[in-house]
Amino acid sequence: MLSTLANRALERDGLGPIRDKVLAGERLTDADGLRLFEAADLPALGALANHVREARHGALAFYNRNVHLNPTNVCVASCKFCSFARKDDQRASDGYTMSVDEAVAKVLSRKPLGVTEVHIVSGLHPDLPFEYYTELLSRIRAGWPEVAIKAFTAIEIHFFAEKFGMSYEQVLRRLMDAGLQTMPGGGAEIFAPRVRRKICDDKATADQWIEIHRTAHRLGVKTNSTMLYGHIERLDERVDHMRRLRELQDETHGFQVFIPLAFHPEHNMIGKAFPKPTGYDALRSLAVARLYLDNFDHVKAYWVSLGERLAQTALSFGVDDLDGTVLEERIYHMAGSTVPQALSERTLHQLIRAAGRVPAERDSLYRVLKVHDAPLPEEPPARLQVTA
Amino acid sequence: MPKKIRAAAVSFLNAWPLTAGLEGSERIELVQAEPSRCAAMLEAGEVDLALVSVAALTKGQYDIVPGIAIGADGPVQTVVLAGEQSPAIWDEVFLDTASRTSHVLAKLVLDAKGVHPKFTPMPAEEGLARAKGTKGALVIGDRGFGVRANHVLDLGREWTQLTGLPMIFALWAARPGAVSPEDVQELTRAAQHGLGIRTELAQRFAALKGGDPEKYRRYLTQKIRYGLGPYELQGLEAFLERAAAKGFLPPMPLRFVDDVVRTRRARRAVSVDTALQKGADGERLDADEAATLDEKAPLLELGLAADARRRALHPGDLVTYIVSRNVNYTNVCTTACHFCAFYRPRGHGESYVLTREELTQKIDETVALGGIEILLQGGLHPDLGVEWYEDLFRWVKQTWPVINLHALSPEEIWHIARTSELGLEATIDRLIAAGMDSIPGGGAEILDDEVRRRIAPLKCSTDEWLTVMKAAHVKGLKSTATMMFGVGEGPEHRVAHLMRLRELQDETHGFTAFICWPFQSQNTRLEPGDGSAHAYLRTNALSRLVLDNVPNLQASWVTMGGGVAQAALHMGCNDFGQVMIEENVVSAAGTTFKMDSEEVERHIRDAGFRAARRNMRYQLVEETRA
Repeated sequence: MLSTLANRALERDGLGPIRDKVLAGERLTDADGLRLFEAADLPALGALANHVREARHGALAFYNRNVHLNPTNVCVASCKFCSFARKDDQRASDGYTMSVDEAVAKVLSRKPLGVTEVHIVSGLHPDLPFEYYTELLSRIRAGWPEVAIKAFTAIEIHFFAEKFGMSYEQVLRRLMDAGLQTMPGGGAEIFAPRVRRKICDDKATADQWIEIHRTAHRLGVKTNSTMLYGHIERLDERVDHMRRLRELQDETHGFQVFIPLAFHPEHNMIGKAFPKPTGYDALRSLAVARLYLDNFDHVKAYWVSLGERLAQTALSFGVDDLDGTVLEERIYHMAGSTVPQALSERTLHQLIRAAGRVPAERDSLYRVLKVHDAPLPEEPPARLQVTA
Repeated sequence: MPKKIRAAAVSFLNAWPLTAGLEGSERIELVQAEPSRCAAMLEAGEVDLALVSVAALTKGQYDIVPGIAIGADGPVQTVVLAGEQSPAIWDEVFLDTASRTSHVLAKLVLDAKGVHPKFTPMPAEEGLARAKGTKGALVIGDRGFGVRANHVLDLGREWTQLTGLPMIFALWAARPGAVSPEDVQELTRAAQHGLGIRTELAQRFAALKGGDPEKYRRYLTQKIRYGLGPYELQGLEAFLERAAAKGFLPPMPLRFVDDVVRTRRARRAVSVDTALQKGADGERLDADEAATLDEKAPLLELGLAADARRRALHPGDLVTYIVSRNVNYTNVCTTACHFCAFYRPRGHGESYVLTREELTQKIDETVALGGIEILLQGGLHPDLGVEWYEDLFRWVKQTWPVINLHALSPEEIWHIARTSELGLEATIDRLIAAGMDSIPGGGAEILDDEVRRRIAPLKCSTDEWLTVMKAAHVKGLKSTATMMFGVGEGPEHRVAHLMRLRELQDETHGFTAFICWPFQSQNTRLEPGDGSAHAYLRTNALSRLVLDNVPNLQASWVTMGGGVAQAALHMGCNDFGQVMIEENVVSAAGTTFKMDSEEVERHIRDAGFRAARRNMRYQLVEETRA
């Protein structure tokens, strides 16, 4: 039930008809989506999104314990929004490529931390053989059988298919045999060709991205989906992007979550022309996504991109997932993110609880591992700073 | 005048800052005695109140005076174990007879080192003379300054290394019911006074007993801590627990004067929906309604109601901001609030008072960037009297007539009145005559004395803060009002704060704006409460509903970041605060958000509003960009 105050505000803002559709469980049109993006009343939009969020998940807010692995930042693509990629792995350019031994050792060293998921995303390296990737996965799998492996964006799958002369299905099957279980949603950026031509014209197209996820879903691999917003795209192009995701989801039901990602401006080619989108845009985009993507279970606020404060606020704007503890994140940090390198589980719980939600640890497939009704036991007090 | 109560205290140097201000007190008569005698007099009822060593609390059911203690967070110098050989081989330790707390501390420290000697009471001089071979001696009090020995263990340092907590040695304990809240206020005032004149006390002590006044000054300002806040309480509790676990002291619950005098009124049952509706419609909320909303209303519901109020008070889509510079003229401060990461004691290597050259540069830069205001605030510097401020203000106003001098929080004005031995009204009159244009509302923290005593025991009281504001408003000055929450207070305290502001505003209409932010915890000694963005947005929205007579609410992007501040614009705020060219206090506690005016305007526009510059009185101004 929406409150009187929320109803009053929605009607004042002309959102009464959209509200009625949402409450009746009817699908929103693209025009509705655009109208929501242009809504002037943020708390009213939030209240509507929150209504849907609470109907799906009640008070639960999900997170997982994950570690990121970026085996190389050497990349043949030249995406103009990227601060992570380097052209070679020379020391002078900060390029790096881990050996399989190094990468596996790095992941296995995280075993004692209670991590349940390894998230692997890489640059498009011109010289590494396919066996580098299959060996990486199979050795992690052998050394750590319980951990879930979420690996390789559609962009990487497309690159492997072209470079090694295989179909998407062949690439995916070999990676699945080596240990891949789910896929991250990166590389979607904005599907509109106008935008892709300008910001990432030499990597997989929107159709290829969609086709790869379709194939993965058909093979039983659940995937994530993303949208990189806040650069040159228009609002109708954001809606178009979400519509294409919604269509594939109708077909396959293979997406687990939608994650809007804010463009970060530092150290990349278009940052000077486009400042970082403001937090208002994040809250609005998350809320609209929750309302428009009616066939998605989860909407995630990626705290590494938004910061803890905004991510916590987003829990009232349609968001039910905060990603995880995210050890070792590099991609956003190289684009100027100043948030901590990792959040402890305790800090995540505090953020969630202070927002009036209940922390629920999930696994890689969004199955609930534990609902934390009670706070974690106290840690011994840290030594406070002596100022005398 | 009520009958005076009698208080006993030791004559040790470290007690002087707490007792010097009681000379001539109309409420409290001071008797000086040796530590053990103080405890005995309290026990026998010869005095109502005594500054006693912590161990003496076990001798009766006493009420502790909140907020004040003598302690150390690290080396203390005046409680030491000394010997010719290493303590590891000691088989006997001579205990100075002066203080039982130090005996227990010595036993705990040696016990933790695995040393279990025999303890023999003995006067300090004799014990020290015999501390050879396998014998050691405990020396306490002012004698500790001069101890020369091969092995000296500073028990303050040892305790802090052992527990990570400060050590509390002594505090004011009262016979049950003997001390009123007014007496507590008097003791607090005496401590504020004494801490302000520590340099002078060090000189007096040196004149009396010999020795280096600078060494005594450093001892009083850098070694000894006089607050009893949550951090010190942790230390006190750890000491009592460890002592009880080892059987050195009986177990002992702590009871404070507050616990006895404070009885809380039960809250009336209120419907959240009804209260929200009332607030949204602009009807006045009472304390019970406000506290219920604070405790129970969901964020977006509070936000929707506050947004309805903002729309009624500020129709249209204009959001204002001011270009202003925070200038912190000194970081020397005698108050030592637990939440402050900015202050330094006088004489500290990082202490400063800005020179005219530095000020010129800062103000010139401000004017060049289109700034029209200087927000001038600083610590409570014990040497700066009203003349220093008058000179400064006249000079600023003469050199930069366009600049609005938004200067001096109530705390500083009280401090200037005290150090200059002037009345409050006279002080304000002189500051206004010299050029003070308006008063920033800082230092309000939580306007509830229970909370203030805990987090800022030596700061001005709620009444004192409001008295300054009222006096200034009556003289035609405008001011802002603030609230720093998340210091462990409850809904009732926050609501009491808002109610006090609303009452005064009904009377004077002198507050132009209200701004709240959560306590930022890095680099300070106070354990954080809920300072999250969620708590900020809720508290901000509640404030919009309760403060129905305060016209403007500022969003605090400096502490919360631009995104959360944008959300606040949709939940009660109509102003985006300052483009701040400089801000030292919050950033000392770890917040690093920064924006220039272009970025501020982008945030305002992106959130769906039009941006406009204003002055301190919230009149729109033209851009004066140079």
